[in-house]
Amino acid sequence: MRQTFALLVDAYRELNHRRLFWITLVLSGLVVLAFAAIGNDEEGLTILHWSIPFPFVSTNFIPRADFYKFVFANLGVGFWLSWIATIIALISTASILPDFVDRGSIDLMLSKPIGRTRLFLTKFVTGLLFAAMQVTVFTVASFLVIGVRGGDWEPWLFVAIPLVIIFFSYLFAVQAVVGMMTRSVIASIIAVMLFWLTLFLVQSGDGITLAWRVTQEIIVERKEARIVKLEDRAFEAEEIRAEMRDAAELGDPDAEERLADATNEADLAAARLIAVQEELVEDRDVLEKAVFVNGWLHTLNTVLPKTGETIDILERLLREWAGLVIPGPDEDDDTRRQFGEMVGGREFEERMTAALDESHSFQWVLGTSLAFEALVLGIGAVWFSRRDF
Amino acid sequence: MVTPAPAASSPATSSTEYAVDLHDVRKVYRGKVEALRGISMQARRGEVFGLLGPNGAGKSTLVKIMLTVVRPTRAEGTILGERIGTKSVLGRVGYLPEKHRFPEYLTGRQAIEFAGAMCRVDAEPRRRRAAELLDLVGMSDWGDRKVSTYSKGMMQRIGIAAAMVNEPDLVVLDEPTDGVDPVGRRDIRDVLVRIRERGTCVFLNSHLLSELEMVCDRVAILVQGTVAAQGTIDELTADSRRYEIVVAGEPPAWSAEAGLRSETRGDRETLLVLPGGDAAGVQTVVDRLRSDGRTLVSLQPVRESLEDLFMRYVHDPETGRAKPPGAARSAPPSAGLGGAA
Repeated sequence: MRQTFALLVDAYRELNHRRLFWITLVLSGLVVLAFAAIGNDEEGLTILHWSIPFPFVSTNFIPRADFYKFVFANLGVGFWLSWIATIIALISTASILPDFVDRGSIDLMLSKPIGRTRLFLTKFVTGLLFAAMQVTVFTVASFLVIGVRGGDWEPWLFVAIPLVIIFFSYLFAVQAVVGMMTRSVIASIIAVMLFWLTLFLVQSGDGITLAWRVTQEIIVERKEARIVKLEDRAFEAEEIRAEMRDAAELGDPDAEERLADATNEADLAAARLIAVQEELVEDRDVLEKAVFVNGWLHTLNTVLPKTGETIDILERLLREWAGLVIPGPDEDDDTRRQFGEMVGGREFEERMTAALDESHSFQWVLGTSLAFEALVLGIGAVWFSRRDF
Repeated sequence: MVTPAPAASSPATSSTEYAVDLHDVRKVYRGKVEALRGISMQARRGEVFGLLGPNGAGKSTLVKIMLTVVRPTRAEGTILGERIGTKSVLGRVGYLPEKHRFPEYLTGRQAIEFAGAMCRVDAEPRRRRAAELLDLVGMSDWGDRKVSTYSKGMMQRIGIAAAMVNEPDLVVLDEPTDGVDPVGRRDIRDVLVRIRERGTCVFLNSHLLSELEMVCDRVAILVQGTVAAQGTIDELTADSRRYEIVVAGEPPAWSAEAGLRSETRGDRETLLVLPGGDAAGVQTVVDRLRSDGRTLVSLQPVRESLEDLFMRYVHDPETGRAKPPGAARSAPPSAGLGGAA
């Protein structure tokens, strides 16, 4: 305990020593100030005393408290903390592990009565202090702004603190282990940025191909339903034709005339059915392809940590528990073109949400991501424990 | 009284008289570089023990194995009665690594206190000890400045203080006087003597032989990963002990008969050498010289210096050059080519 506490104090001193830490904190403060300066009224967006007529964000559409929560989740956390502040944090913490294993300082640490695995893991945790302090200060300040300006004291906002720390820890684990093994700050920064880019591509790929799959499923189902209807129609037309033929054979002069029409109708219905059946075969092929590609990308995404999806949990939680409702322009049921096909907007949204809930649950996002992080740290701990310095 | 523990002794039976009791310590680095080839070494409590050896002899590797910084290929023996490699015993050990580096954001006092915390010393005694040690190493006025502003000598002083913050029973110092000026060196020597007086074993790794000679009770000479010699300086230099008598005039006729080597020196003076350190034997010689009415110019006991001793072990008698550094491979392709860096 004394050792862990000493390492924490040491980590704080190290952060305190870094200018970037304070610069980021000041920038965070400015972001919160900007946050406090904006608002919405009946007209639209307000900045300090100026009002900008932008009806989509006016209080008629979105209550003031929700507006702030939305801005906090999407811009404050989703953009500032999880992009800009994270890049700064990664750069300023990059040298922690290379410095730690540097000749001259590692001897001092290893010669103390503390196990190597514990030493490595404690050092890793202290590296998260940067992110922890930034997100805590930012969230507390935002909580106050939303309380004072929006009139809603929302405790669920504090979920942002563990989520952002967990999100940062995925990246920092890779950076720390690469930095320790290579003893190079630059190598660790390049490695973590490439890793992050890979994660971004895999997550986007998983999301896009899932949307493609859902669209294709809707289309296939629609065609299947249409085929059932067309089959009925063809059957009916065939029946009418048979009736007319029978009547004509019995010598009905009217029926003879109508037989020609009925035959035409029946042929047309049969042709239409065949055409749609052919389309369905093609669409099923495409669906199979979508399922296959999405399956692989989803497997890859399952193995890797999910940075973006971890941050998205915040908004999902705020929607679920804090009653956040964001009326978007896409809520209507306009059909829209998606992957070259026209689908109903609402139908797609509902099915997409269901698919996401099924394959991208909170447990899946956090569990598999933390499992990857544990693996990386395990490799780092084994390497560190067996190494001669 | 206490006989040295046999090589195969288990840690439990190992004598507590020894702060360091190593047997058959071996280290083969990756790439088959044999750094240590079966080291056995004993350092007692309450003594200053000097580890000597040329660069690359394996001194630092040995020290790092004692401190668990390097994992031995094979090692038997104990540190303060605990099996070598035991982490918990390090709480009673102080260590100053060679070219150590404290984080630049710490002050000297913080560096000492941090070392104490890592050795599980409580906050209050830690603070008190830090203040005492800053005073002991003469850094009281500088304790609250950042280590980045320190000179090399100041860093060494803080390093020594940090190694002592847990009141250790064994202090391992790797090149403690490196970069320290002559006054500072004497200060550090005084500190070492005071540590020894507390009953602590000081394990000193240095290449400054004259300094070791001044403070060490016992030394071990490490050459190419093996212990070439070990013992008190008196023991190691016993063979070279002699009395040198300078008398006026020619060598006495009886000198060969009395076992004296003689050589004429300059103008009407003769150097007589009596091998061995026997003070009684020299009295007889002096009596005979006096009864002959010879004038004694000087009489002094002489022994090999640590440097001579060191050179004797380090030099390869075949090539007449220093043995190549490092135990390296068991059969070097061209042994002794150049002293190397």
